[in-house]
Amino acid sequence: MTGFDTLWQVIKTFLGLSLFSLGGGNTLLQEYQHLSVDTYHWITNNQFADLYALAEAAPGPSSMIVGLLGLGAGLRHGVLWGVLTGLAAEIAILLPSTLLMVAAALSWGRFKDSPFRIAFERGLGPITLGILFSVGLTVLRTADHHWLAYVVSFLVCGLMLFTRISPLYFMAIAGLLGGFGLIQR
Amino acid sequence: MPAPSPSPKALFFGMLQVALSAFGGGLSAWSQRIVVEQRRWMSNEAFLTGLTVARLFPGPNQINMAVYIGALFNGFIGAMAAIAGMLLVPFSILMLLGLVYFRSHALPAVDHVLTGVVAAAAGMALSMGFKILHEYWRDPLAILIAILTFLALQVANFKLIPVVLVGGPMAMALYWPRARKSQAEN
Repeated sequence: MTGFDTLWQVIKTFLGLSLFSLGGGNTLLQEYQHLSVDTYHWITNNQFADLYALAEAAPGPSSMIVGLLGLGAGLRHGVLWGVLTGLAAEIAILLPSTLLMVAAALSWGRFKDSPFRIAFERGLGPITLGILFSVGLTVLRTADHHWLAYVVSFLVCGLMLFTRISPLYFMAIAGLLGGFGLIQR
Repeated sequence: MPAPSPSPKALFFGMLQVALSAFGGGLSAWSQRIVVEQRRWMSNEAFLTGLTVARLFPGPNQINMAVYIGALFNGFIGAMAAIAGMLLVPFSILMLLGLVYFRSHALPAVDHVLTGVVAAAAGMALSMGFKILHEYWRDPLAILIAILTFLALQVANFKLIPVVLVGGPMAMALYWPRARKSQAEN
């Protein structure tokens, strides 16, 4: 495959997924993992887990993980292809949902009381809930292979739910534990 | 008194300011502070309406919010300017981090640290469903739909797109607003 083939494969993949990013985009993580690791072999399972953590830890919306997946896909053809493919991936995942959102912003006044809107909001909510639990489980299985890693994940999950501490601290402490060799893959 | 509507350039720099202020988190709070309180582009009500729309439609919430604000004032061009302002710096940083990562992840020290960070990040992913669970807890139909969706993805191994395309319209039909009675219950 040439750099251009990879670029096109990445663009097609993310353009097609864009409108399915319900509930803020995290619902697509499982699909990202499946496509970038199993289907197209852009990256390995461990790399996917690393990139997810990187996107969560870095400033800005964590949905930018798509840029990292594109980077990983394009990098085999050189740094320039990597960055170009990463940028293209991000544009591809954002373009369709952005066009829809522009239309929504401009026509919301007419749309907001329609039964379609109410059914859409109330019906897709529970579906999003089910997807998010599935995504959580998939990321957990991708990331953790050691009992202590599971303990850390469940602990962080609990802290996310019951405290307002920034998750950056959790990642820093867990990174330290990993650095000392306490958590293994 | 609201300020005059912002140009695409003003939208770009406003969202750039939001993105830079929100290093370390709290993007939507910063967005509200800068867009409503400092720059007075819109009222708080208009901002909250935007958040509702941004959450309802596909796409990352914070990026959708930028799109909403941009589109309101300058249509598609405004939306592009707002997204560019919001993503320029964080996306460049992320690409650099990504390049460093792919160069160095084979080093044992880097791999060890990342193993820990990954375990913590997985905990964050796990918390996403629990975070919105309370909104549906009292609605058995919603819980049933959520369980069926979960099983379709995890046990039957269906892909996300068919699950949404089949489950979405079915759930919408079940929740289609019917008589006045069910409206009053809301």
